[in-house]
Amino acid sequence: MPDRAIRGGMTFTSLQFGIFVAILFGVYYLPPLRRFQVQMLVLASLVFYGSGQPALLPLLLLAVLGTYLCLVLAFDNRAVWMRAGIVFNLALLAFFKYKLLFIDPAAVHPTGVTPLDVLLRLPLPIGISFFVFHNISLLVDLTREKRPPPLRDVFLYIIFFPQLVSGPITRAGQFMPQIAPKRLAEVDFVAAAKWVLTGFFFKLYVANNLNEMTSYMDYPLYETVATPDRWLLVFLYSYQIYADFFGYSAIALGLGLLFGYRLPVNFNLPYISVSFSEFWTRWHISLSTWLRTYLYIPLGGNRKGPVRTCLNLMIVMTLGGLWHGANLSYALWGMLHGLLLVVERPFLTLLGDTGPVVRVARMGVVFFCVTMLWIFFKLPNFDHAVGYISGMFSPTDNPNPTKLFRNMALLYALPVFIQHFGIGALLDGRLRRWEPYLYGALAAMAFLEAGPDAAFIYFQF
Amino acid sequence: MQHASPLPWLIKCAGAAGVLLLACGLATARFGSALQQPTVTTRDGTVVTLNRYVREPVPDLVLVGSSVAWRLKEEYFSRPGVRNLALAGGSPVTSLDIVAKQKSLPKIVLIESNVLTRLPDVALIEKFSGDKRTEPLFLRPVRTAVAVYETWNHPPPNRAEARAGRDRLLSEPPSNFDNKVYLDRAVQQMNDGDDPSVPAEVNVARIRELIDDIERRGSRAFLLEIPVAPEIEDSRMVRMSNAIIHAAFPDHARWLPIHPPMKELRWADGVHLDERSALLVARAIESALAERGQ
Repeated sequence: MPDRAIRGGMTFTSLQFGIFVAILFGVYYLPPLRRFQVQMLVLASLVFYGSGQPALLPLLLLAVLGTYLCLVLAFDNRAVWMRAGIVFNLALLAFFKYKLLFIDPAAVHPTGVTPLDVLLRLPLPIGISFFVFHNISLLVDLTREKRPPPLRDVFLYIIFFPQLVSGPITRAGQFMPQIAPKRLAEVDFVAAAKWVLTGFFFKLYVANNLNEMTSYMDYPLYETVATPDRWLLVFLYSYQIYADFFGYSAIALGLGLLFGYRLPVNFNLPYISVSFSEFWTRWHISLSTWLRTYLYIPLGGNRKGPVRTCLNLMIVMTLGGLWHGANLSYALWGMLHGLLLVVERPFLTLLGDTGPVVRVARMGVVFFCVTMLWIFFKLPNFDHAVGYISGMFSPTDNPNPTKLFRNMALLYALPVFIQHFGIGALLDGRLRRWEPYLYGALAAMAFLEAGPDAAFIYFQF
Repeated sequence: MQHASPLPWLIKCAGAAGVLLLACGLATARFGSALQQPTVTTRDGTVVTLNRYVREPVPDLVLVGSSVAWRLKEEYFSRPGVRNLALAGGSPVTSLDIVAKQKSLPKIVLIESNVLTRLPDVALIEKFSGDKRTEPLFLRPVRTAVAVYETWNHPPPNRAEARAGRDRLLSEPPSNFDNKVYLDRAVQQMNDGDDPSVPAEVNVARIRELIDDIERRGSRAFLLEIPVAPEIEDSRMVRMSNAIIHAAFPDHARWLPIHPPMKELRWADGVHLDERSALLVARAIESALAERGQ
């Protein structure tokens, strides 16, 4: 897996990153420097990105400058230059993400053309899937305006460090209007603290501890795991991937607020969804919104009859799967989600508003199916994924299976349950006065009970 | 949602975090982290094992090695004062180095020499060497709670229970589990892996230094080969490692030859002894030590 984490660089949970944010925050609101706030954030974002992949900074700059050039030219001829900009960005994504489909990475000179070989040898740029989508949003949204925005604003939108490597994918139309001088008095410290502490807790306490257990889902370790525990691990991974990505997104939101920017909420209790279409309005909301706005609707959405709607859903979800990586597992994951969306469509109107028992049953079915499909995420090698699934349905023959502590698994997964089943409502109501103490406890537990450091799962995309 | 002043909220939040940290810090200072914490990874298990070794009185007999020796549970030995410091996934040198760096040494150190292809874990050696603190400042509340539950629910066997467990294992017939798939895979990995010469030579050189050191201080060290399946014995990695260590230690007196009933030994996953076989090997080790008057 190419450069899963920003190796040697700053991740949200590192001490270096904490110091980096503290210093930046310290100077950001100084009155004499207020008119350089955008430049400061751009510079800081470049430092953040460069700390992990300095060799790929020129590529990031090229992506931004190329997009900006197309944006400016699109004000003269939108039809040509907007499309050229989109093609430019998709070509970047395709080159870095899907090149391994066509070349042998072990070959000394894959093409024999030295400059091309140098490019082919570059690792996957962290966050490329995210900043390319930002670029496309920029080209589509802003070319409808009267004049192009300043280059520094474009830079900030694309490379703003809280959202640079794993989103949320903010639409240009939402972010750009927020670029204005910021004042310390306007910062909502409590909201920022809540997001950051929740994010750290979910990442360090839930995701990193569950990661210790779900590492036994990897090949060939899963062969040592007993059949019931294989089932348990799949559900634990479902909680882990949620806690990991929700945790990252929550920290990003909190950081955005500290610097005066409101990023879109990326998760809304996805595991209580009663339909697959609802799931995609609650899971990775910024990606599904992006796909709907820039792919599903331009394809015709649901306006061209039921057959074409189903086809559009399948196309969008399969491409959404491939967006995560160039292999069969991701494509199949997306395709199966597309199929579930297609299959459920006729039943949605049929079921309508049902009673609580049916709702709980539907919730269970959606959660079960979504969880099973995560196997293709955890094991991108298709053969390994199939091997894992077949092992879930056959008795274990290993006389010394790996021991998993189920009580510990439950305690580490518990926060996801509690969050999904109503802690938010309680905090908004009777328990409101206890809210600061609860967040303090989350902070302490994130520190005391942190699992071994592990890269954010979505860094690889 | 803009709060009038965030300060009271932030103070309460920081206060709650501080109180919890203080409570866990005080609990650690008062009780230590003596409870056997449940471990999920081999690395965690290693830290627990070594923590226990440096904290408790020095035993008579210490076994160091890799996952091959790790299967020899301490309760399989009938003599008291046996401590198995073999580290799954590690080099025998890691534990040997840690043992050698303690002020007091055990009477006998057995060094399993089957796996010499992994380099010593320098970070672990440093962590457990000298007077450096090996316990965390704060206990982990969830793991401690689980540890309390597990200890209460599954207490370690006393001597009578351990003896009964050994008798039960010996009364069973050898396993008839077909391990061919696992064995073939292990053999392939051992034949196709990297050249083991370099790490084996590094390990052997360090083993020599450490043996000289601990024997100068009054301890006795023996090298030990734990039986493996004939196919594994014949693999490229094992042949090369064996050649290197036997060339370095040609003196037969340095080795502790053991003679378990080979026909009854089983390696469930192709490489590691199953429980009954591990017990047979532990008994063979005790017999061999008795023959040497140890």
